[in-house]
Amino acid sequence: MTQVYGQAAVGTTTLVGTEPAPVEVQVDVSSGLPGFSIVGLGDTAVLEARERVRSALRSTGFRFPNARVVVNLAPGPLRKHGTGFDLPIALALLAATAQIPARLWVGRRAVGELSLDGTVRPVPGMLAHALGARRDRVVLLGPLESSHLAAGLPGLEYRGVSSLGRLRVEEPSCGVGSSRPHTGPDPDLAEVTGLDTARRALEIAAAGGLNLLLIGPPGSGKTMLARRLGPILPPLEGEERIETALVHSVAGLDEAPALSGRRPFRAPHHSASLAGLVGGGSPPRPGEVSLAHNGVLFLDEFPEFAPSVLQSLRQPMEDGWVTLVRAEGRLRFPARFTLIAAANPCPCGYLGDPVKVCRCPEAAVQRYQGRIGGPLMDRIDMAVSVERIDPAALVHYSPAEPSARVRERVCAARQHARGAGRPLAARMGGAELLAGCRLDARTRQTLGDLGRQSHLSGRAVTRLMRVARTIADLEGSAVVTVDHVIEASAFRREDLR
Amino acid sequence: MNAPARWCLQRGEDGYPFEFEDLPDPPELLYGYGDPDLLGGGLAVIGSRRATPYGLACSRRFSGWAASNGIPVVSGAAIGCDLESHRAALAVDGPTVAVLPCGADVDYPRRASATLSEMRRRGVVISEAPWGTDPKRWSFVRRNRLIAALSRAVLVVEAGLPSGTFTTADHALDIGRQVFAVPGSILAPECRGSNRLIRQGAPPITDVAELAQELGYEAQADVPAHSTDRLLTALTATPMRPDDIARAFDLDIVQTIRTLGTLESLGHLARYPDGRYGALPR
Repeated sequence: MTQVYGQAAVGTTTLVGTEPAPVEVQVDVSSGLPGFSIVGLGDTAVLEARERVRSALRSTGFRFPNARVVVNLAPGPLRKHGTGFDLPIALALLAATAQIPARLWVGRRAVGELSLDGTVRPVPGMLAHALGARRDRVVLLGPLESSHLAAGLPGLEYRGVSSLGRLRVEEPSCGVGSSRPHTGPDPDLAEVTGLDTARRALEIAAAGGLNLLLIGPPGSGKTMLARRLGPILPPLEGEERIETALVHSVAGLDEAPALSGRRPFRAPHHSASLAGLVGGGSPPRPGEVSLAHNGVLFLDEFPEFAPSVLQSLRQPMEDGWVTLVRAEGRLRFPARFTLIAAANPCPCGYLGDPVKVCRCPEAAVQRYQGRIGGPLMDRIDMAVSVERIDPAALVHYSPAEPSARVRERVCAARQHARGAGRPLAARMGGAELLAGCRLDARTRQTLGDLGRQSHLSGRAVTRLMRVARTIADLEGSAVVTVDHVIEASAFRREDLR
Repeated sequence: MNAPARWCLQRGEDGYPFEFEDLPDPPELLYGYGDPDLLGGGLAVIGSRRATPYGLACSRRFSGWAASNGIPVVSGAAIGCDLESHRAALAVDGPTVAVLPCGADVDYPRRASATLSEMRRRGVVISEAPWGTDPKRWSFVRRNRLIAALSRAVLVVEAGLPSGTFTTADHALDIGRQVFAVPGSILAPECRGSNRLIRQGAPPITDVAELAQELGYEAQADVPAHSTDRLLTALTATPMRPDDIARAFDLDIVQTIRTLGTLESLGHLARYPDGRYGALPR
């Protein structure tokens, strides 16, 4: 067989953070010493495409040219990473050697990793690549497995292909998979009996998007409560859904739960590093705060986190974004989440427990509580103490309300706030709150008295009003009354430990 | 501002409190600030470091009465009941004496430094440890004998089990000082120690008049306001969590939280650091 020489190009995208940047894969097959080189600032994974592409072509019955093969990834200065270049390189190579018709690939993009047997596999960030294709109005060819993405993104033209070999026989079909349902039922609040005050705090936190601190001994149900915040929030909708799924996709996690509207719940261990929590690495990967975008970030054993790590949460909590500055430029990952922090009352956890005796020295207790009151405390709107319940007494409690009923109230409260033209209470500043609360003279008086009595700072009063505004929303009340302020004060964290 | 004058007294020297001679091992040297004439014949008001609002309120009440009647309030400046006692005495401009486990010029505990410097100017701060000495583990127990010796009576306002206040009470009994205790709820672990003292024979002190009578003063019996609020009555007996209160009274949790909050804002209740609510003495 005679060797065919030629050139061809196929489009693809590489990820810069969550942004898909268009890249053109150009292949030149020419006479010369046989070889296969890839230029254009690819990382190791990109360079290893040579071996995968070579084997995949052979396994699927194509010929690998016995010629000089140069692959260029344009634009040159942009760093490229990942294994998604396998498929476009293979396609360009086949087009250049006239093994498939080149005209098919004009104005189309391909993303996918190749197995040695020619199977096309998904890569992290398929959703981002798909969004890029939709944005640029081009057809995307990718792994068949990712076809469900097309169902969630109207306007996207996606062709799923299972193996490179399929391209010999047919034009890949339009893959319209159904979106996969997420697995497992949500944890339900009906399983939490006896912790009525904490349940109420959780409901308020959900309605206002407020950050909550849970304090209680080990085994009192702090984690159980935190897991149940997500399901009482309204499900993800529209843009939120895509944003959250995008971060998960880029991180190489399953994006299906987010696409089906489930809010993420992230619970990093307290040994988490700075890069793990806020994102980083090379190529930069979203951290836990971004994976919790539009969902819940749960920090158990809050005082055990390194202070520098907690400090790094401040900026995302203020802006709703993580900004990473790297030599190649600045990257942004979204990070708007509700924080639930949990802490023991003392290092051993049994301070104030009616049965078990706390054996911590006073100085150790002070140090521990000093850490609770550390870097992030001014970002936490409310606190509630959670008691360890005697399991024998549990059977006497009346069954608790299920999540669905609580969620109805939460949604109604959020609707009420929206109807009055107010954002979530969590996002309201001091002046905005003062206007939004519409306090009468008596309520003003009560607020002042409370502030003096408990030595509250200005910030603490703002937090109090945020909580009070949310309680009023739960009641569907346009004005914040004395009752609301009084109840809010029960969740102030100033003197709780 | 000038630093307050400090002194050092040798045993037997003019101004050295003769009450220390009741001890089997009086200090040879005494270091301090303030008027040495205030040493002796005081009322020791002591209690646990992890005081509840109840313990703190009792400290305030009894120390305030003693100091305003010219009885020096003696204590150890520890966080909790001790510090609250000193502060209550300073608040009524009455005499108060802190006996430190470290040098009298050392601010220990650190959080008491503001009160201590106030006391070096307006009260008395003493120690048997030389200037600049840091506290040692054993020096706390040793200093307790001095607190006992400088008082005509020791009042334990709140103590759990085990508690350092017992060594003070033991020293007091050894050298013939009276020991009184403020009773607390039998259900509260924070009061187990002070209740045990009562069982062991310490007269209970339930109001200022009783204390006054025991110390040979006259005072009007203060009749505690009788509460008509059943919730308040329940919390007077024992501090409870909102969850338990709601169940006990068959109330809605939101209503319970609001009622508790209202009573707290009126000063009838206090929220404990562990989330329970307890009645405050009125």
